[in-house]
Amino acid sequence: MIVFDQLKKNDPHLRTLTLVVLLGMGVLIAGLWWVQIISYRHYTENQKSQSFRTVRIPAIRGKILDRHSAAIAENRPSYNVILYLDELRHEFRAEYARSRQPQFVTNALPAWRRWLGADPVKKQFPKMSLAQRRALEAQVRYRVVSNIVQRISTIVQQPAEFTFEEFMKHYSSQLALPLPIFTNLDQNQIARLLESSSTPPGVDLEIQPTRYYPGTNLACHVIGYLVRDNRSLEGEVADVNFRLPDYRGNVGVEGEFDAELRGKAGVKSVLVNSLGYRQSENVWMPAEPGKNLVLTIDADIQRAAETALEQAMAGSVKGAAVVMDPHTGDVLALASAPSFDLNSFIPRISSNNWFHLNSPTLKPQINRAMQENYAPGSIFKVLTGLAALEAGVDPNERISNPGYIRVPGRNKPIDDLAEAGEYDFKKAFIKSSNTYFITNGMRAGIERIIQLGQRLHLGEKTGLLSSQETPGYLPKIAEVRRGWIAPDTAYVCIGQGRLSVTPLQMAVMISSIANGGKVMWPRLVQRIEPADPNSDETVIEFPTKPPRNLLGVSDTTLAITREAMLADVEEGGTGKAALVPGMRIGGKTGTAQITNPRGQIVGHTTWFASCAPFENPRWVVVVMVEEGASGGGTCAPAAAKIYRAIQKLENEGRPSIAVNTP
Amino acid sequence: MIRQPVNERQPPVDWLMLAALGGLMMVGAFFVFSATMANESVSLTAWYNQAWFRQICWYVLGTGAMATLCLVDYRIIARWSIVIYWGTILLLIAVVIPGIGSTQGWGARRWINLGLFSIQPSEFAKLGVIIAMASFLSRPVDELRSPKLFWKAIGMVMLPFILILKEPDLGSALILLPVGLVTMFVGGVPPRFIVSLIGASGLLVSLILIDVLFAPPSWQIKLEDYQRRRLLTYFGIDGVPADATPAQKAEARRQSRNDSYNVTQALISVGSGGLTGKGWRDGTQNALGYLPRGVAHNDFIFSVIAEEKGFMGSVTVVMLYSVVLFTGIRIAGQARDRLGKLLAVGVVAMLFSHVFINIGMNIRLMPVTGVPLPLLSYGGSSVLCSLIAAGILQNVYIHRRS
Repeated sequence: MIVFDQLKKNDPHLRTLTLVVLLGMGVLIAGLWWVQIISYRHYTENQKSQSFRTVRIPAIRGKILDRHSAAIAENRPSYNVILYLDELRHEFRAEYARSRQPQFVTNALPAWRRWLGADPVKKQFPKMSLAQRRALEAQVRYRVVSNIVQRISTIVQQPAEFTFEEFMKHYSSQLALPLPIFTNLDQNQIARLLESSSTPPGVDLEIQPTRYYPGTNLACHVIGYLVRDNRSLEGEVADVNFRLPDYRGNVGVEGEFDAELRGKAGVKSVLVNSLGYRQSENVWMPAEPGKNLVLTIDADIQRAAETALEQAMAGSVKGAAVVMDPHTGDVLALASAPSFDLNSFIPRISSNNWFHLNSPTLKPQINRAMQENYAPGSIFKVLTGLAALEAGVDPNERISNPGYIRVPGRNKPIDDLAEAGEYDFKKAFIKSSNTYFITNGMRAGIERIIQLGQRLHLGEKTGLLSSQETPGYLPKIAEVRRGWIAPDTAYVCIGQGRLSVTPLQMAVMISSIANGGKVMWPRLVQRIEPADPNSDETVIEFPTKPPRNLLGVSDTTLAITREAMLADVEEGGTGKAALVPGMRIGGKTGTAQITNPRGQIVGHTTWFASCAPFENPRWVVVVMVEEGASGGGTCAPAAAKIYRAIQKLENEGRPSIAVNTP
Repeated sequence: MIRQPVNERQPPVDWLMLAALGGLMMVGAFFVFSATMANESVSLTAWYNQAWFRQICWYVLGTGAMATLCLVDYRIIARWSIVIYWGTILLLIAVVIPGIGSTQGWGARRWINLGLFSIQPSEFAKLGVIIAMASFLSRPVDELRSPKLFWKAIGMVMLPFILILKEPDLGSALILLPVGLVTMFVGGVPPRFIVSLIGASGLLVSLILIDVLFAPPSWQIKLEDYQRRRLLTYFGIDGVPADATPAQKAEARRQSRNDSYNVTQALISVGSGGLTGKGWRDGTQNALGYLPRGVAHNDFIFSVIAEEKGFMGSVTVVMLYSVVLFTGIRIAGQARDRLGKLLAVGVVAMLFSHVFINIGMNIRLMPVTGVPLPLLSYGGSSVLCSLIAAGILQNVYIHRRS
């Protein structure tokens, strides 16, 4: 070895020199060992973190389907024109070169330099400071990009607004991502773009799935809407550099089942160079599409219910309609008016729409079928009747109605809108006699009425869409035992006073009478299916639950009530407007008075609660309109429209909806 | 001094060193290619204009110069040492004159443009100093005891030192100090002189540093601003007066981040290479432009090699240099006279300083001073100078017997 030969040599100077060189090389190797072997991980991470940008790719949102697999919420391709800035670097350079005009300077060179080949004419660029150069570069880039934007704008025939600030914002913060130029092109624009012979460099047509509601406002309150939210959910990669637009469901099933519908966002990494331009891309975690949600809603019935509701009155209707399968509790339609366009939330709701959505008088966001407390009015007489019959009241017993009723403890008599005369149960029911039901309700006693209400779970939530449900109000037994006076009972008997319900609760009540005394849980979601029907992922089923409670009322009582309901429609009762040929409908109207704190009547909440067909009820329809004229005049015709639509669907051979009928 | 017995079968040239030099040149050609071809616009230019080809041309030219040099006995060359020395001094003066010296678009005025190519006189000044010092100090050892001679020797180093510092090219100037020191030490200048010399040059370097780092601007040696900041960066000083406003401090911090950018990126390149590297032309630091394109193929070529070939590659490079350096020292030991020995140690000192400072700068052992890596860094003057230096070694070896 030459090193050790030299160390042995008897030359102190060279020996020292050898040692110094040996030491120096040793230090270098030790340093390299430290940097390359010991700190390898540290520097590799540094290198990755400076040259990789991660981008969150949102998953395709699951569809929301009705019970016949018709889509209520789906995704449609949205075509966007995007521009890859990294492919424009040649253009940037060329434009930069053009915008710097060279000066030609002639130098008097000494002869020897000219002899050596130096050119006396020299091309020179005006001197610029670093800041000037940066500014010029930015201007040049903007000019190139904005020219391309203008060219695309002429091709797709859509004016473009593209400011320098917008460009700089994208350039400085999102350079690794393409620049979106036009979003949401229509078919003509796409065709024009694809046919144009000269597409500028870097331009690409991007297809992005976008939430789309084919029925625009169909079942909007049940569906809920989307809000922009790019945040990572639990279980997703949270630490990403960029996030593509994503949405989160707000209220409705979009909100309630957001986690299932949303799927799992993926991540792609973009390799960028030192200037931040994209070099290559690599999807290292593909997005998992969201699952599909199958509702119990029947889109056709829902549409019919919405239309009937909107046409119930002139002007803008505030009301709700519920169609339920009495045997299963399946909600076939849950309409609330006014409605709103679900598509207006994509990509972002306009301030004008948002203003309308928050109208203090119309309150379109409120799901009136379950989110608002209403006095049930006369439809509550169904329950009072049940309690009275169960308490032993003879339905054939006649009670004289003088046109009003005096209740102990109240000076002013309560009016009876039914004409004076003798009333048995059926007549009192179809004429909606206050005198009869107050008299017999008080005979049965308030506690019986409350107990029956408790078995129907009035004053409690049904748990359908927890974020938009109110429990309503039913007095407690303890409440009626202390400080409760006769007029309080009288008001409850006719569905007024300290009592409030939702249309959905009334649908459950009518269902229990229709199905023979079973108080069902309403059901809105049937199952959650994987996006790919062939995948071996499990389907999550939400089967019909066993009855929540039993009414505890004899079959005779139920039969008498059902017959009275039928008579209300068919024998010239208050609900005669609900008559539909070929369908035997039984119902009860209601017109609840809304009083202000001083006891003056300020409006009416009108109702029609019904079931059909009489022989074996398969449909329960409850219609409620705020500030309607009367239950029979406003709501019964609307219910008739819904029944006619159902009848038409059945005649067209629509498979029976009562699939789960036991 | 013990001479190895003259063996008739001993080769005429030092093949081991030539092999190491050949290896270095091959590595150089491959990695100059890798470092420059990542740049699209460079790869589009004609092949004969590309850096790797030019580098090979310089290798050929340099090897030719080395061979030519070996034909003439070094003692004959040494007779011309005064002429060579003053010639390089003249070039150094010329380079400072604006009409002749050229900045090549960089801050410092270091080049003389000869039309087809340009030369960097400071590279040749190093050789000039080696030859001049060797022939000056090769006189009988007794004479070296005189302080007058000692001062003369110091003057011979300091004159080009100051001129190069004036360009400014701190790195090249600093290389002269170990060269002068080592030739004096091996030449037999009495130890007390050497000790005081080491003390003095240590003092000089620290004075320069203190001046650059802390003195008020009017007192400072005229360094390019970026060079001063490089030193500040290395010593971790932000150079902000204590009473600076927060805005000024933030600006200074930003500046210091920018300044340390090259070193940071070089470190990331070297470190992310790991044991075996990412593969030739697969280094991302260079391809993606994190390692600035302007320096990747010259001052920071080592980090390209280290990234693409890993620890194995960088150790191979260090080993190749070690072979050159140790054969150089062996040649010094075998030289027929003191002149040959001093020439050899001068060259070894110069090559060693280059290698140590350059590789040290890639792993933050040394401040960034712009010293090329012999034979590997792209650059005609540096390659030519390194090969001529190797030629001097071979010359001493070839003529060790005659």
